[in-house]
Amino acid sequence: MTRRISKYKRFMMMNPIVQFFKFIFLSLKVLVIVAGGHGGTRKA
Amino acid sequence: MSKIVVLGAGIAGHVAASHLRRKLPKEHEVVVVSPNSNYQWIPSNIWVGIGRMKPRDLIFPLAPLYAKKHIDYKQAKAISFYPEGDNEEQKPYVLVEYVTGDEKGKQEKVTYDYLINATGPKLNFEGTEGLSPGKNKAHSVCTYTHAQEAWVALEEVIKQMKQGKKVKILIGTGHAKATCQGAAFEYILNVEQELRRHKVRDMAEITWISNEYQLGDFGMDGMLLSYGSNIMKSNEMVEMVFEDRGIHWILGAGVNKVEDGLAHYETLDGEYKQESYDFAMLIPSFSGHGFKAYDKNGGDITEKLFKGFMIVDADYTPKPYEEWTVQDWPETYQNPSYANIFAPGIAFAPPHGISKPRKSKNGTDITPAPPRTGMPSGITAKLVADNIIEMIKNPSHELHHKGSMGNMGAACIASAGFGMTKGSGISITTYPIVPDFKKYPDTHGRKLGKTFGSIGLAGHWLKLALHYAFIYKAKMKPFWWLIPE
Ligand SMILES: Cc1cc2nc3c(=O)[nH]c(=O)nc-3n(C[C@H](O)[C@H](O)[C@H](O)COP(=O)(O)OP(=O)(O)OC[C@H]3O[C@@H](n4cnc5c(N)ncnc54)[C@H](O)[C@@H]3O)c2cc1C
Repeated sequence: MTRRISKYKRFMMMNPIVQFFKFIFLSLKVLVIVAGGHGGTRKA
Repeated sequence: MSKIVVLGAGIAGHVAASHLRRKLPKEHEVVVVSPNSNYQWIPSNIWVGIGRMKPRDLIFPLAPLYAKKHIDYKQAKAISFYPEGDNEEQKPYVLVEYVTGDEKGKQEKVTYDYLINATGPKLNFEGTEGLSPGKNKAHSVCTYTHAQEAWVALEEVIKQMKQGKKVKILIGTGHAKATCQGAAFEYILNVEQELRRHKVRDMAEITWISNEYQLGDFGMDGMLLSYGSNIMKSNEMVEMVFEDRGIHWILGAGVNKVEDGLAHYETLDGEYKQESYDFAMLIPSFSGHGFKAYDKNGGDITEKLFKGFMIVDADYTPKPYEEWTVQDWPETYQNPSYANIFAPGIAFAPPHGISKPRKSKNGTDITPAPPRTGMPSGITAKLVADNIIEMIKNPSHELHHKGSMGNMGAACIASAGFGMTKGSGISITTYPIVPDFKKYPDTHGRKLGKTFGSIGLAGHWLKLALHYAFIYKAKMKPFWWLIPE
């Protein structure tokens, strides 16, 4: 095992308050990607 | 009145059937033919495989739901296709065979006006000698029953570790051309976390084995992604996580044979090697179901419909990696020979891979096949349903709904450990799924920002939220259609 994630980073990754906001952000980001739509590629 | 037959009730088939039923007046018939009596939310199988969920948490019976929603359901499997009918039956039909009850073994010609083939992949365990779920200490999490069996075996190994036995755990791909690395990636991280929870982590050597050339390839040629304020390659991100968790890795490995506790594989360097293990989870290759198709006179026309998987509006001209373009990828999933047949989800034949193809020094192809994950499976199924609805309303209609994987984003929320406070997830989004090197030449074919990675507890919550949201949607509960695919 090689520590590749610093203590501070790990704290941020696992802190429920920080992660709550991250959860909202991620949910919106995923929604934007889905709602961003899709289409063909052959006709510009 | 039109009759739409949907083969398969997985993510793609169920999405297509539910949208068709919601949007079409009752005089049109929607028929689903599928051999499994249950709907299963496959992405949560990995949690069954670590004992943190039970199969009942991710399945529900299809028959009562379909009866309530006026969807005709046949618990049967498709065998062969007759897109022109035959001498006795004027209409196109699919020959199906019932798989359960009094009707078991009975065959029926199921006629249709429109056909959606959403039969997904065949789990091709036979493609690797000795690989079979639960045999030779090697397991699978591809279905909920496989995942349950995997957990029973893993639990036993954990018991042995608690009694002081050191063990080797091997997780990854079980074939040189396997896909679905993402599922194996989730499973290895979940297993690693569970071993820590059981306080036996130091008793296990955990190894990732994969046909990927680099970590984080995922059959998508890897990604360049935004990670916080940095730009990172997906292989760097996965390497960081694996090193941090003490997971070893073997790459460019085409597993070709599995014996009791021993995986044989060939490397890209052409060497033949072995890796021993006490518990393994190896994803098999995915193949088409081997369906046959016949014309009106009984002549074999399989090559008009199938190329392993079903032929759709892709450009199948063989070409080298350097000439691959997003335009090769299908947009409508319509069969070019029969305009009333479609194949969304995994059922369609991709034009080629996404990852750069590589051969071993002995000439063996060792390259991940292209993945078609849940989100594109749902999106392509919905657009096929929408096109069929338009065709029913106006048969001469051009297909308006398009969704190429070269112009579609995907979110992959990979669980990296279960638990409301101790869990973790690696959230990756990509846009587009198939890299467009012309549009995004400097960022490995993808749009940065829309292609990003994030690691942490929120990822676990998101994956869990998606589990509940998608099961709610699949059960067609009030306003289910507001939840996007
Ligand atoms: C362990 C695992 C974890 C995964 N995790 C994720 C994830 O986190 N996120 C994600 O986006 N994707 C994930 N995926 C991928 C996702 O599950 C697939 O993309 C998706 O299931 C494909 O949908 P499909 O409908 O095309 O195929 P399937 O879901 O495989 O459905 C095929 C259907 O066809 C039926 N069928 C088979 N043969 C016949 C026949 N002869 N006649 C009629 N019906 C037939 C089957 O019974 C089934 O109902 C995961 C996959 C696995 C295996």
